[in-house]
Amino acid sequence: MSLRRSVLTLSILGLCACFAAPVAAADGGTLGFVVREWYIALHESKFMDECPEGLTMGNDEIWWRSAPKDFRAKVTDNGLARSSIRYYEVMDRGKNGEDVCLNPTSIVDPPLRVVEGKIGYGHNIDGTQDGHATAKTCKHDKFQSPDGKKTDIDNQMARLVGCSFGWRKTGMIQLNGNEVRATSGYGMVLMEVTGVNEKDPRNSDNVTVTFYRSIDQFAMDSAGQPLPFSTYRIDTLDGKPRYSDSLKGKITNGVLTTERGDVRLPAYDNFNFGHPTIKDMAVTLEIAADGSAGKGMVSGYYDVEEFWYLTAGVGQVLQTGQFSCPAMYVAAHKLADGYPDPKTGECTHLSVGYNVKAYAAFVQHPDKERRQATR
Amino acid sequence: MSFLIPRAPARRQLLRAMFGGGAVTLALPFLDCYLNTNGSALAATGAPLPTRFGTWYWGMGHTPDHAIAEKRETSAGIGFLEETESLKPFGSKLSYFGNFMTPLDGKSNFAHFTGWVANRVGTPPGSGSDIPGTTLDLMIADVIGNASRFKTIDATAIGIASENYSARGTNSHGAAETSPISLYARIFGPEFVDPNKADFKPDPKIMLKKSVLSAFTEESQAFTKSLGASDKARLDEYFTAIRQVETQLALQLQKPPPNESCLVPPKVDEHVDNSNAGREMGQVIETHKIMSKLMAMAVACNQTRVFNMVFTDANGNVRRKGEAHTHHILTHEEAIDTKLGYQPLAFWFNKACMDGFATFLQTLDSIKEGDGTLLDNSLIFATSETNYARVHTVDGIPTYLAGRAGGKVKSGLHVIGNGDPITRIGFTVMRLLGVPLEKWGTNSLQTSKMITEILA
Amino acid sequence: MRRKFKDLPLRGVVLATALAVLTACGPKEPASEGGTPDLRRLTEEQYRNTIADVFGPTITYGGRFDPLQRTDGLIALGARTARVTPSGFEQYYALADSISAQVVDEAHRETLVACKPASATAADDACAQAFFGEIGRVLYRRPLTDGEIKTAVTAAHEVGTTTGDFYQGLAYGLAGMMTTPKFLFVVDATEPDPDHQGQVRLTSYAHASRLSFLLWNSAPDDMLLTAAEKGELYSKSGLEKQIERMVASPKVEGGVRAFFTDFLDLRKFETLQKDPVIYPAFNAKTGEDAKEQILRTITDHVATRDLDYRDLFTTRRTFLTPALARIYKVPAGRPDGGWTDYEFPDKDLRGGLLSQIGFLAVNAHPGRSSPTIRGRAIRETLLCQKVPDPPGNVDFSLFNDPDSPNKTARQRLTTHATNPTCAGCHKITDPIGLGLENFDGVGSLRMAENGEAIDPAGDLDGVAFKDPAGLAKAMRKSPAAPTCLVNRLYAYALGRPIETSDKDTVAYFQQVFARDGYRVPQLLRRIAGSDAFFKVRPPKADAATQAATNDSAPKENPS
Repeated sequence: MSLRRSVLTLSILGLCACFAAPVAAADGGTLGFVVREWYIALHESKFMDECPEGLTMGNDEIWWRSAPKDFRAKVTDNGLARSSIRYYEVMDRGKNGEDVCLNPTSIVDPPLRVVEGKIGYGHNIDGTQDGHATAKTCKHDKFQSPDGKKTDIDNQMARLVGCSFGWRKTGMIQLNGNEVRATSGYGMVLMEVTGVNEKDPRNSDNVTVTFYRSIDQFAMDSAGQPLPFSTYRIDTLDGKPRYSDSLKGKITNGVLTTERGDVRLPAYDNFNFGHPTIKDMAVTLEIAADGSAGKGMVSGYYDVEEFWYLTAGVGQVLQTGQFSCPAMYVAAHKLADGYPDPKTGECTHLSVGYNVKAYAAFVQHPDKERRQATR
Repeated sequence: MSFLIPRAPARRQLLRAMFGGGAVTLALPFLDCYLNTNGSALAATGAPLPTRFGTWYWGMGHTPDHAIAEKRETSAGIGFLEETESLKPFGSKLSYFGNFMTPLDGKSNFAHFTGWVANRVGTPPGSGSDIPGTTLDLMIADVIGNASRFKTIDATAIGIASENYSARGTNSHGAAETSPISLYARIFGPEFVDPNKADFKPDPKIMLKKSVLSAFTEESQAFTKSLGASDKARLDEYFTAIRQVETQLALQLQKPPPNESCLVPPKVDEHVDNSNAGREMGQVIETHKIMSKLMAMAVACNQTRVFNMVFTDANGNVRRKGEAHTHHILTHEEAIDTKLGYQPLAFWFNKACMDGFATFLQTLDSIKEGDGTLLDNSLIFATSETNYARVHTVDGIPTYLAGRAGGKVKSGLHVIGNGDPITRIGFTVMRLLGVPLEKWGTNSLQTSKMITEILA
Repeated sequence: MRRKFKDLPLRGVVLATALAVLTACGPKEPASEGGTPDLRRLTEEQYRNTIADVFGPTITYGGRFDPLQRTDGLIALGARTARVTPSGFEQYYALADSISAQVVDEAHRETLVACKPASATAADDACAQAFFGEIGRVLYRRPLTDGEIKTAVTAAHEVGTTTGDFYQGLAYGLAGMMTTPKFLFVVDATEPDPDHQGQVRLTSYAHASRLSFLLWNSAPDDMLLTAAEKGELYSKSGLEKQIERMVASPKVEGGVRAFFTDFLDLRKFETLQKDPVIYPAFNAKTGEDAKEQILRTITDHVATRDLDYRDLFTTRRTFLTPALARIYKVPAGRPDGGWTDYEFPDKDLRGGLLSQIGFLAVNAHPGRSSPTIRGRAIRETLLCQKVPDPPGNVDFSLFNDPDSPNKTARQRLTTHATNPTCAGCHKITDPIGLGLENFDGVGSLRMAENGEAIDPAGDLDGVAFKDPAGLAKAMRKSPAAPTCLVNRLYAYALGRPIETSDKDTVAYFQQVFARDGYRVPQLLRRIAGSDAFFKVRPPKADAATQAATNDSAPKENPS
């Protein structure tokens, strides 16, 4: 029975509720998750206090404001009305007609409006209390949690995009990425936790969390939510998992926390693929009592250029997302707080915290899959 | 062996002529013989309008004191309460029958079964699956249902084919249509002859089909010779069933009279048909809405004169989204809200059933026919299997008669049974529609008394 | 993948040995009085299997068949009293029309119509006669009489000539055959018994039908009909040769499936509904898979691997699809939706038929489990014990306090047990059903209900158990389980309820079933090879006419 061993280990998922059944060996257990939601953790208050100047101006808005009156007349509904033409007008406003998103330094736009509030979400990544510069980081401000208990949160990415319409709840950029991931199966991240204590899976001192990409789509219920305990296959290259970085960690009272380490992940945003490595990544995940889901935070340092590659390529969203490429590019470098360039001393990475939601899943390894296929 | 050759040379020539494109007039008899005698008529032809009979079923009865206001004696005017408020607009087109009893003479009350069987057959069942006779709709169909394409059409919005309250006995229990698509196909599929189509051309293949069927049927008669008496009776029923198909084929060969009430409904789309999606009340309501329209048109287009429509079944298998229990379980297990005085969720279902009944009546009433509506020319017998589902009472099963059977009955009455057997209602209905009965029912359920108060 | 029967030990030497053993030693079959000859309406499955056997799997058709009444625990017994309603016949007619049109269409005529007409645009009586002779023999399950051939050929001739289409003629004739009672009803045709003055026996062809509907749930094939024609089924050796051949055929899986579908009342799946809000993982596909899982587990266990029937209640081997795996909370072998075999670990609470989603979900409410329904299903279906219906006037709400502290089903049902009206029956069902409370309304494992730990202890007829695995073992040991199977299989095979006069015969089969190690295929062989299986007596009232006028086929070969 090829599946038998994994069954033994995986069956704890069903048992971890509160009443563990007798299981033979310790530390042989496995938990699996498929990530459904992955959002930059933004604090969006009722009166938008975090953005006292309001939301930032978009590419389109800046272009329109700067357009001469006679030109404006041409591109109204009575004139040049096609949005695709307008789109290129907006994008190709570099000094020599360059695309300002692909060449964000070709012009200078008014500065990006970024988060000024104190409240934010994330982890303390640099280990400092005040965000002073270290060998690995640049000076930056810290956020505090809404209850004020934590005052050492790093999340410069949230500071960067938090006043841009497209990234907030109202916008499409994050929502689209998450929804397309759900419906297309692109950028599906699997998390497998091994070394779980089988006697008490909610308290395991020494676990390993490995990140894979799945080649299967979500199994959904009729309400469009992923069905827990579904099985997902790992994406492979030459018989080996295409992504398989892992982190050490532990589970305490049902909360998984990991140490920090570099993790390469599949990324998919608005029809744009990438595979960024999140440096010094760590995960905290609160596992539901019935083992069916987990909710938590992923944090680490995100390469500004990688961010820019994924952002500049998102197409129409550059217009509908309402942010200026040149302004954001400048701001991203200014806010970067991790990994200073040895030559310039300027930081190259942004600290980031993501809210994640994952569902219990069985991670099927390629060797098992092949055996199944030959039946 | 008498297939075509010695018996029907004329028919053969006729067929040849039809295939050869020759002009042929088919002189087939107008099969209609049971017509409304009160004089209302089809505008187009002047032919009198037929009376139609239908049953409408809902499971789990009423909520006592919250459905119909009590009365002491029979009189005009029905006191519709919260549960039945949607029936108010039809107050003048229906009558309510309360306080009629179902004495079981010592037989058990098989929950959710005895009630409808006794009510429709006139005899209580001896077991939880026994149907000890023919249901009243089929007795009526034997009289008025021979001139239409179908003797009866049965459909259920709850999607359980076997929960069809029409049978000729335990072992002669037809399946009801469960999906609007199949109901549409059965009635308005390729075999349907549109009475309002100018260019009527009988399909010559129909006659061939009819001849082949007759030949095989005739030859099969010999098969019965070797059988015992009870098996012979079973096959007699089989041959009777064949005759319905023969009638259908015959009707396809004659041009029906034009009928302005008959408007062929649009084809039922697959995405409209959610009958497979589950027995959730919202879906039942939608399915019932479509089925009602199809059924009403089947009647208006003279495809059938008798029909059975089930809204929810006698076992209350209907759910409400997010509720752990079906209507049935709720009637037993839900606590009574002391302020409201009833089980709120069970009441919600009961009310939804009455809303469904109102939708059904509205559908019939919206079809103009002669001086009135299809509802006016019909008699709808609407019942459940119990009075109060919580305790399975079969006494006082709520019963409605809707429509005026073309002027044969009075409506708008609340009729009090004073403990008389409930079979009086069925007996009256059957007599009104021409079933030659002197009495009906067995033992304490036997009756020979019509409810004269409702006779026009 | 599913294994074919032919790969497995049902064949060859094992089988021959089994048949030899069958007659060699052990108890002797007692004399049987037999039952009266019956007329059985083809079940939907039998209709579909026959059409598939005759015309192949590419003929497709929908259809709605009148429901059969479940009688004495079997739908098969409802067939002997089932009638045909007008709407039921209408369906048969439409089916015949649709099937016959496909048989002669361009895609099929090459393979399904053996002869070629002289001209496709005119009648060809010789070709039609050959066609109807061959097809009719399988549809009527005996050779056609001259009269029957003539009816079909004349019909085809007339239609072919009138329409100028030979194949149209064939189609109409075929449709005609398919609407006769000769096809739609299986008749126990009898003839005077030459060996026993004044008695009757089943005709040779009726022997063939009995065998094939029991073992294949379909009409006899050409070889079986040929054996019948030669009178071989009257001899023990000829009969055993056919049984051996039939049990070795992959079609026996259809027979085993049909019996267990009926025995376990898997028809319930047709109306199975779960609330999608409460059980989002359960949909129509899950229901279909759950039913198929039960049938796969059974056929694999009792037939393919020929194991002890009683072990079905404890076996950890089963088959899964991803939809089922999700509810079992185990990994699916194939994310593409297909089936894989699977074995639950040794100490798992799950194992055996009772812990399968199919059993657990069908015997539950749409949004909640039900120890009472489950207990009743075990008693009535698997142990053939009668549980009385609840009294008609019971008022359940009497003990349904809205502020009830009752969190678990056990607590709720304890209320029943303290009410003397209810206690009597609930004592019969609940102690068994509560043993499955670790499985919720769709069969997912749970250790608590509403935050309160579930106590799945109970007892089955005096055998105490402490969890579902214990209940499975108690079922495995229950003497009523194999007895029930024998009773039902015997009634199913004969197509009639067991009568008082069958007592000794049933006891005999129970005895040999135990001696044979509770092997179902062997029991099937024993029943199929027994005298009782074919024994009929004339109906009391018209015994004389029955013996004199039978509907058996002519002695001469009509084709």
